[in-house]
Amino acid sequence: MPAILTVDDSRAVRTIVGKQVKELGFEVLEAEDGVQGLEQLAQAQVDLVLLDVTMPNMDGPTMLQKMREGGNGTPVIMLTSESKRSIVAGAMKVGISDYILKPFKPEELRQKVLSVLQGESGAVIEAPLPGGGVPLAAEPGEAASPAGGRFVDIAVVDDMENVHKKLRSMLPGHLSMNAFTSAQAALAACRERVYRVVLIDTEIPDVNSAVLAQQVRVLQPPAALVALTLRSSNDVSREVREQGFDDVLLKPFRPEVVDDFLLRYFDNQEFLQVEDNVLKVAPFVGKADRIDRFYGRLNGQFTGALEKVAAACYDEVVLDLGAPPLEGDRLPKFVVAVFEKSKEFGMSLSLVGPAEVHKILGGYTETKDLKVFATVKEARVGAAA
Amino acid sequence: MSVEKLSAELESILVKRIQADQLYLPSMPAVVVKIMEVLRDPDAGMKEVAHLLERDPVLAARALRMATSAAFAGGTKRITLQEALARLGTKALKSLLVEASAQKLFISRNPQINDQLKVLWEHSVAVGILARDVLALTGEGDSESAYLAGLLHDVGKPVVASVLLELERQLTEVYQKGWIDSGEWLAVVRTVHRKVAVALAEKWQLPGPIIVCIKDSAEYDKGDRHSLANAVCFSNALAKKTGIYAGEVLAEDNDAIIMIGRSVIGISDDILRTLTKGLRERVSGLYD
Repeated sequence: MPAILTVDDSRAVRTIVGKQVKELGFEVLEAEDGVQGLEQLAQAQVDLVLLDVTMPNMDGPTMLQKMREGGNGTPVIMLTSESKRSIVAGAMKVGISDYILKPFKPEELRQKVLSVLQGESGAVIEAPLPGGGVPLAAEPGEAASPAGGRFVDIAVVDDMENVHKKLRSMLPGHLSMNAFTSAQAALAACRERVYRVVLIDTEIPDVNSAVLAQQVRVLQPPAALVALTLRSSNDVSREVREQGFDDVLLKPFRPEVVDDFLLRYFDNQEFLQVEDNVLKVAPFVGKADRIDRFYGRLNGQFTGALEKVAAACYDEVVLDLGAPPLEGDRLPKFVVAVFEKSKEFGMSLSLVGPAEVHKILGGYTETKDLKVFATVKEARVGAAA
Repeated sequence: MSVEKLSAELESILVKRIQADQLYLPSMPAVVVKIMEVLRDPDAGMKEVAHLLERDPVLAARALRMATSAAFAGGTKRITLQEALARLGTKALKSLLVEASAQKLFISRNPQINDQLKVLWEHSVAVGILARDVLALTGEGDSESAYLAGLLHDVGKPVVASVLLELERQLTEVYQKGWIDSGEWLAVVRTVHRKVAVALAEKWQLPGPIIVCIKDSAEYDKGDRHSLANAVCFSNALAKKTGIYAGEVLAEDNDAIIMIGRSVIGISDDILRTLTKGLRERVSGLYD
């Protein structure tokens, strides 16, 4: 069993430290001052010394000096109420592994003791290269930087799982979402991933949401921080901004409110994605009064998308319509426009969509003869035939 | 003249001038002063502030850019200056104005001095970011004020530099020879800048806790572990450790400040990694 020597003239400190160190599974030796400390070291094999600075008979720095002069390289953590940098710098010169200021929290003692004994102390700072300003690469085993991590659209931090489910059900399928019931889990994820929007409940038990927002802000600088809250006053937006949030999303979720939220943060999506010779129409998100806007964006984007396909020397192009809004004649007009432009580029057009799309297009002279396939695979086979 | 002697003489001159209220300390730009006055009124409307800010297009553009950044949930829509200011809020706007005013001090017409000031400004920004993030990640203290405190902790340096530059100009005109090299120049500035910085901060009516940070804070305050001064003291050492600093660093002394600070403030390995990761990239380019 590893042994730790605690050298401190305060019996109370020795008792507290001894208790916490024993809980970690270590044997504890005690000394009241530097003289006794050196005697203990001469008699027993010790793996770590927790050393006070100010003590009668022989103080900590003197004991440390004598240890090193005598060839004893046992790791030492200074555990003291002394915070003068000259004293700590002097001890560092002689050789200490770490430093703990009294009063201390048990977690700090536990973490530093384990870190030193497992040889993990130091090397957590991105240091400059000698003579240059470029930082060193991250240390081995270090978590990937957020920029190199996985990109996720939304993180939700709310202790009520039902809130996660409700929100998920109201989001379009193409938006990715991570849900967390605890601040700790959310912060851990924020170290690993990159989010566009982080939603934080302002009423999580035992969590100060303003503090959590600050922490998330540091870990996710580009993300928008949105408070999830019940309407508690008329000026709830101002209240949450004062707490460090950028915005608010009111609970319980109403479709139009979620709609506005999506429009605000996910409006700049690609309405028309191009993959090989397939143009895929993004799902429509929002209220009926935004359908014109949706088709307007599609009409603004399809020429560029067709140019890409033509530039890649395809003879045919597949337009995957997904499940577009079917109101009015917007869909047939859009399809005709794409059809005409495809012809200009010398490409044939195949359509993919559900039966409803087929039905709507069948009702217009200009589109009734166009074949609508159920899948992209079928469309490609049909075009080749 | 040795650096020590020059520093002592310069400090003596500066202190006398400060005491006699004869030291020229840069004022905030007139627009900023007026806006600050308006913002002191809790009922002040952003319409009036926007009207004033329009007189300084660079500042107005900066406010717009900040308000439309992702950090302020900018989205993609174009917004008016008044909407931008409303989105920023009073505190962030004040911070932006002080930052912009301070940055103007770090620009010199002398190219050599300008290069030095650029590094000084980058160091200041790094300390500001670190101080803010230290308190935010530990979940204690006033992290937003910490940014400004860190940013301004060396604000006396460019003022001393300009006095030094003027002295140099006078001396070289008389003796027709070079004066001190850039290393000595920095050493002199480092020695005497604190008193000037405090005088400047008082003239600019900065909050008391920020002035405390500007005063030399080489030791930690054990009574208030998450004070702005402690955050700035730690962040200053950490910025030096990561190489974002002009001048000599006493490595053992600096490491001791970091080691003590980690325990005083409660900074885990995870937090330390987060603080320093990509710091240089975050700081570089902010000068231009």
